[in-house]
Amino acid sequence: MLLTEDKEIDIFVASKIGSFKHIKYHTDNTKNSKKCIENLVDIKSLQKDDSITCMVWGNPEQTEIILGRKNQQIEVYNTEKSEVVKAYTADFSSGHLVGLGRCKRKYLAALSGGVVKVWSKKMDFTVETGKLDRMRVCEDEPTMFATGGEENDLKIWQIGEAAPLFTAKNLPHDWLQLRRPVWVSDLTFLPGEGGRLVAVCSRHGYVRLYDTRAQRRPVCNVDFNAMAAVCIAPSFDQRNVLVGFGRGQLHQVDLRKSRPDKGFKGAAGAITDVLAVPGERLIFSSSLDRHIRAHKYDSKELLYKQYLTSKLSSLLVQTATTTPLKNEPEVKEELKEEKPEDTEYKDDDMDELFNSMETVGEKPKRKKLPTEPTEAKKHKLDDPEDAIKQLLRSTEKQKRKREKRKREKKAKSVFHNA
Amino acid sequence: MARGKDKKKRKLEKKQEGEDVPKKVPHTLESLREKDETMLANVEAEEQEEAQKDMELDELSAYYENAYEPKVLITYSDNPHSKTRIFGKELTRIIPNSISRYRQRSSVKRIVQSAIRESVTDVIIINENQKQPNGFLLIHLPNGPTAHFRLSSCKITPELRKDYKEITNHRPEVILNNFSTRLGLTVGRMLGALFHYEPQFRGRRAVTFHNQRDYIFFRHHRYEFTSDGKRAKLRELGPRFTLKLISLQQGTFDSKHGDYEWIIAGRRHQMETTRRRFFL
Repeated sequence: MLLTEDKEIDIFVASKIGSFKHIKYHTDNTKNSKKCIENLVDIKSLQKDDSITCMVWGNPEQTEIILGRKNQQIEVYNTEKSEVVKAYTADFSSGHLVGLGRCKRKYLAALSGGVVKVWSKKMDFTVETGKLDRMRVCEDEPTMFATGGEENDLKIWQIGEAAPLFTAKNLPHDWLQLRRPVWVSDLTFLPGEGGRLVAVCSRHGYVRLYDTRAQRRPVCNVDFNAMAAVCIAPSFDQRNVLVGFGRGQLHQVDLRKSRPDKGFKGAAGAITDVLAVPGERLIFSSSLDRHIRAHKYDSKELLYKQYLTSKLSSLLVQTATTTPLKNEPEVKEELKEEKPEDTEYKDDDMDELFNSMETVGEKPKRKKLPTEPTEAKKHKLDDPEDAIKQLLRSTEKQKRKREKRKREKKAKSVFHNA
Repeated sequence: MARGKDKKKRKLEKKQEGEDVPKKVPHTLESLREKDETMLANVEAEEQEEAQKDMELDELSAYYENAYEPKVLITYSDNPHSKTRIFGKELTRIIPNSISRYRQRSSVKRIVQSAIRESVTDVIIINENQKQPNGFLLIHLPNGPTAHFRLSSCKITPELRKDYKEITNHRPEVILNNFSTRLGLTVGRMLGALFHYEPQFRGRRAVTFHNQRDYIFFRHHRYEFTSDGKRAKLRELGPRFTLKLISLQQGTFDSKHGDYEWIIAGRRHQMETTRRRFFL
């Protein structure tokens, strides 16, 4: 294996039941475990319509996440404070939230009923767009946003203007002189182009690239026969996008050569969200089969796969900063716990014993009251008999623990049972 | 060593060991099953809680809260032959509050629409090929999920030398067996939601969906307790059939634009890596 340094990537995943999770992904795959996953929402409090339908970063520092729920609730979650800072209700139209965004102090929200609202303390601005499936704000030019839906082709808007900057035009009729159906299921601005290039995918099975300066018709059209494209994200190379499909395929599409490029295998259910992480050249995808997956971009191999108990709806990767896990200190202590086992048998070396004993006995206290351990230490040194008793007790405990573990292992092993 | 050579010797040894030696359990594909991380048993409490919540909030939860009485529509592919027709008719006798209708060349999406209008809660569509029923599409209404099964080894009552009139119209008891993974649970819940939640024990009818190696076996029995009350005698009433899951889709039927929760088509070699791996 290559000797590579372990890097941590923070992933935030939202689900259809409304739970919201933080995963710490280690590029060193041996360190990935269930301990790296934590829930950020109390599961017991979830209601029927709490399903999270969209999730975006609220600021370029990536410390704020804006969550949109099916019951029209918008929450702003701060990753540093790890709590919901603000909450809004988007009851200006019908439907669930299909897009969120933030431009300086202004918040943007789009409902599937077809209304996009922009609001701040000073201003209030709404546009009527027709039924929506997705709204996204351009990262390069945050005053621009794009919308699209079923039979509602791509439109690009500027905040403050009632008419769209750009309205897409459908491709000409096909060779039977039939109109081509339109359904924008997801769209993305290609980065580094100043909001000029927009890629669109459709449940009718096409991926199109629009150049707002060139023409209203798409400059590139890639057809996938009868494969419903569900989500789209910019890839690493220029004019390449990643497209996830309703039947579980994940492909890269080359919009320059206008053909599908390569596929990433592994999902058993529809891909709901896909993201490329530029630093490690990884591709993360969340799926309806309740798994999150990480693929290596260059070799297409599946590096990581994790079951997350509920159907996933969207996914965010934190690249600008990092967020520690809430329960991380505990994890470290558990690692420490294992060390004393090796030393406990060296009865002659008393000092070492005392040291090891402290770590076992005083751990929970140290966490809460940092002053107490020192006192306890003194006390112990004064009274060696007590210490030995405690030591004996602790070794016994460990023995029991080990035996228990053995038993469990035995019980687990298939062959023994058989 | 040849197997038969020391058979006698082994038999003798076995005799000498006596009765107190516990009987050995043979290694089967099930007992050596590959561990599935989605299995609900022996996971942490937090995960279990979330899975529980996931089930509480899904589309089938209303049935399991006894909020409504299921009403089932059974229909066929166009121009069904007699076996499929009889099979559907027998299903209507098994499933309480169900009706069988001919399809009249209607599309599945339109059937779904009109079924929602008529407040039907589940639609079953039986497909037929070469005069044999071979597909079983189960749609839960009003908003999914949709399960598509392959139907095989279907035996209707005449083929089992039984009489369909023996099937009384008491509401049966439903036994769902061996659905262990998260996917299996969903499928089991869907099948369970076809039947009324309150069985009439007078009828002594039991309907079994038994999952074994991803094949779901359907059997239909009448039982009778023996006089000492310890065992039950079974009488099979028929029909019998086997289901195998092909896909599970979110929402009502839309094979072209819909999102699948689980689908095996096109990725069998990736998913069926060993013979010890099962999905339900």
